[in-house]
Amino acid sequence: MPARVSKVRRTRAAEQSGVHYPRWFWPAFASPAIAWLLVFFLLPLYAVLSIAFGTVDPIFRTPLPVWQPWWWTTSHVVEGLDKTFGLFQQVYLRTFWYVLLASAICLVLGYAVAYYVARHGGRRKTLLLVLLVSPLWISYLMRMLAWVNLLDREGYVNRILTFLHVVPQPVGWLEGRGITVILGLVYGYIPYMILPLYAFLDRIEGSLLESGRDLGADPLSTFVRVTLPLSRPAILAGLVIVSLPMFGDYFTNTMLSGSPSTTMVGNLIDDSINTAGQGPEAAVRILILMVMLLIPIGYYLRSTARAAQAR
Amino acid sequence: MRRSAGAAVALPSLSAILAACTRPGETRNPEQVDLLVPRPDRPVTLPMNGEPIPTDAPIESGAELQIFNWVDYVWKATVRRFVEENSEHDISFSAVTTFNNMEEAVSKMQAGEIEADVVFPTIDAVPRLAVAGLLQPLNHELIPNLERNVWSAYQNPYYDQQWRYTVPYTVYTTGISYRRDVISDSQIYGMANPWEILWDPAHRDRVGVYDSYRDTIQTALLKGGITDINTGDQGDLDLARDELLSMLDLVNPRATINGSYKRLPQGEFDVHLSWSGDIAAGWGYVPEYTRDYYENLGYWFPEDRVGPVDNDCIAIPANAPHPRLAHEFINFLLDFQNAMDNFSWVGYQPPMNDAQPALLTQTEGLYSQISGWAEPAEYVLPWMESAVVRQSDFDVGYRQAPLSPESDERWNDVWQQFKTGVKAGE
Amino acid sequence: MTKSTADSRGVGTAVATPQVGRLRSWWSNPWRKPRLLEAVTWGYLAWSILPIVVAVLISFNQGRSNSSIQGLGLNWWWGDPSSSLFHDPELHAAIFQSLRLSIATMAVTVPLGVAFALGLDRWHGRGSGTANFVMLLSFVMPEIVLGVAMFLVVVHVLAFLNLGTIAQVVGLVTYQLSYPVIIVRARLLSIGKEYEEAAMDLGAPPRQAIRRVLLPLLYPAILASFTVVFADSLDDFVTVRYLSGPANSEPLSVKIYNFSRGSPTPAINAAATFLLFATTLVVVLGYLGYRYTQRGERREDMTALTGL
Repeated sequence: MPARVSKVRRTRAAEQSGVHYPRWFWPAFASPAIAWLLVFFLLPLYAVLSIAFGTVDPIFRTPLPVWQPWWWTTSHVVEGLDKTFGLFQQVYLRTFWYVLLASAICLVLGYAVAYYVARHGGRRKTLLLVLLVSPLWISYLMRMLAWVNLLDREGYVNRILTFLHVVPQPVGWLEGRGITVILGLVYGYIPYMILPLYAFLDRIEGSLLESGRDLGADPLSTFVRVTLPLSRPAILAGLVIVSLPMFGDYFTNTMLSGSPSTTMVGNLIDDSINTAGQGPEAAVRILILMVMLLIPIGYYLRSTARAAQAR
Repeated sequence: MRRSAGAAVALPSLSAILAACTRPGETRNPEQVDLLVPRPDRPVTLPMNGEPIPTDAPIESGAELQIFNWVDYVWKATVRRFVEENSEHDISFSAVTTFNNMEEAVSKMQAGEIEADVVFPTIDAVPRLAVAGLLQPLNHELIPNLERNVWSAYQNPYYDQQWRYTVPYTVYTTGISYRRDVISDSQIYGMANPWEILWDPAHRDRVGVYDSYRDTIQTALLKGGITDINTGDQGDLDLARDELLSMLDLVNPRATINGSYKRLPQGEFDVHLSWSGDIAAGWGYVPEYTRDYYENLGYWFPEDRVGPVDNDCIAIPANAPHPRLAHEFINFLLDFQNAMDNFSWVGYQPPMNDAQPALLTQTEGLYSQISGWAEPAEYVLPWMESAVVRQSDFDVGYRQAPLSPESDERWNDVWQQFKTGVKAGE
Repeated sequence: MTKSTADSRGVGTAVATPQVGRLRSWWSNPWRKPRLLEAVTWGYLAWSILPIVVAVLISFNQGRSNSSIQGLGLNWWWGDPSSSLFHDPELHAAIFQSLRLSIATMAVTVPLGVAFALGLDRWHGRGSGTANFVMLLSFVMPEIVLGVAMFLVVVHVLAFLNLGTIAQVVGLVTYQLSYPVIIVRARLLSIGKEYEEAAMDLGAPPRQAIRRVLLPLLYPAILASFTVVFADSLDDFVTVRYLSGPANSEPLSVKIYNFSRGSPTPAINAAATFLLFATTLVVVLGYLGYRYTQRGERREDMTALTGL
């Protein structure tokens, strides 16, 4: 049934545009970008495959990609999988927990902020929005470096905390603590959660909420019964948008910790890419990361496709 | 779209043609392997990759000097002086291209991605680079300062007999840097096995090692009593792994590049694995530039001088755009005064005959002299005499040598286990 | 609902109720001011912006420290003869490279993406679904995957590209391509087809209908795309780092990372501050231009600007 519907819609659309434009007209517009994606997106992904299934130069230890699938060797992939479930299991689990916690904080904090700006921003809305976007205007790395300097044992954070007697002596924030890394991730990625949430919450009809209130619902139950269910798709999209890049993040960790006890998957990849003889391992880790992320990516793609259909 | 789908199918076979028709990775000359693992008792003469440039070649005019180096490993003021001295040739310099570790450097050079006039390799990379044809032979007549100024051992080093490709840049020992306000000299020098201080829970969260697998694993070997720091033996490496995992448990160490020369002086670490050159430069990073702060820095190295000692090199890549200028620059760096001035900022000692230990610990260096903001500092602070490298250290010390590919893989396995932070018993 | 009525109603109820019922009535009053949310929002804003303020202040540090201010001055902007922003060619090269990469990326990505968006929106043939899927895939793929894959392909397959500026631009364009597509498609959806069809009904050939009618309607989205792609490329680190070759191909973000592993001076803060001002200028100009193209139209704007 759905197939038939879409077919009908498609032919009608084709008729419509067929009236005015030649058949090749619109595909011609898309073709340069398609060619680009083929050569610079799909081909590189294939290169990862052929390196993961390839060999290593015995002397220089550089990866030798094998392009022909019938000559592929699986030893690196098998070894990579072995390590994923053995030696590196902790790292994958740790990454998962870090990302989960960081995304959850992003969501709670981000939702509160987006909600406030969208519903109660009032005349200051533009100012608030500019402030919300402003961190994105200075380099992410610079912001992290600023944190490194703030969190220093002698840095301002410790000076303020000790001055206020919150802590008796300076805290070693940078001495390999998971919490610092998690907060760093939140700091880096939360704008990408707030913006889509804001965009969505801003679009919810005020009248819908007002009618809830007029019917006597207190703000909390209006929120729980009306706003929250409505914003589910935006929440999920926001979660996908912040958590996917976190899975591949390595620099936040390198800058804020550097301790083996906080190593994440991104660090495994980044470490192996420039180690002699580990080219295939790097490729295998990339593949494993992609496979692991298939579920959220698939979810995102499906929901976008649905949203497009609904239009 | 149908057409592009066809192209997608065609691509692999296209690349198959590009990748030639042999299955890669199976043809290598076994003799080459021996060349790649020189030892002091098994020196190698690297094959000539063409001829050196002629002596009468003119300095390339209008050239921009390209340097491929570790971060913070050459003083810009020294390079600038070189540019000024050669102003008649209208040369210039803008920035050092840096690499984070030697493997990155080798793979980028091998991919032909870097066009540098000079590169600063460690000795284990030298044979690989030379055999791969990525270096060019040096014209000795253009580098008279080597014979004139440099330690005799480097007139014919074991890893590059007849110094066909390299000159030495710096020498250094690998020991431990520590905060003297936390750990006294007598405390660490009085320990039966001072390497153990890196495992001491009293300094939990305040211990650093290098983000460099050779140096950190070698430390675990030495702590465990194994002195063959180029071992490929699985038993030795298992022991090193266990030591490192227990280090994770005991002190939650961090792996850094700048921990010893910058972050320990700033107060972020109590104790750090350290190249002697790093801690010699450490005074430049203390919070306030007074002797009191300098005195917080200390360095331990075995008193009998039986410990890891090494040198780094300078070489000219085969594809150097300005080889004549590169020779000139190398000769410039081997000039006594230039080498010492560079040393005053970099902290790494040049193997110069005239750089007597007494001179090093009693003379203020150029960097300290010209910095208006700091109290004077000697090349090596007097209480860190152990950070001075002597020629005789190379007779008794342990020297890092290139590993065979099989050993290297074992070392990397240990390193991965350490870097993933998976503690023992988990 | 205006703010004043909300306030007066809130005050009114509170005054009218006796002491005991006060809390409950405050709780169930639908028009009360959300103090907690307000505090959270301003707290968040302070948390997100203060480090930037500190980073900017540090660039005016007189001393060498990155973590504490040792007197204010222009030492690291100007004064220091070798390491200040004004005198250090390495920092010039980095800023120049950052700008060069983002301008080149912007120049390639936006036309490519706008055409792609038009094509995807109007072409209902067989491949369009697949193309759309691949585009979205490139949007959600973690950057490290794309960066490493591009690095491997440049080193092992498309060796003629060489690590450096060209490879970096290619990588960035691939990573950024989906932004203009998404922004422009959203705009296409909201303007519909009527104007264009009307023009064609009046006898305009397709080319003219696009140039005279559709493109002007798309200007806001195109401008937004330029802004987003520019700002995002300027900030890019992962892709650009893997694809960087010699020193002069390392943009500021990569320099900051490398310096942070060495010994950064406040000059690096000065460089980042300089870029911050430059970006702000571009964004403000972009916004003004956007407002100009939007004369008389209602907003929708901030949403389009943020690209979501």
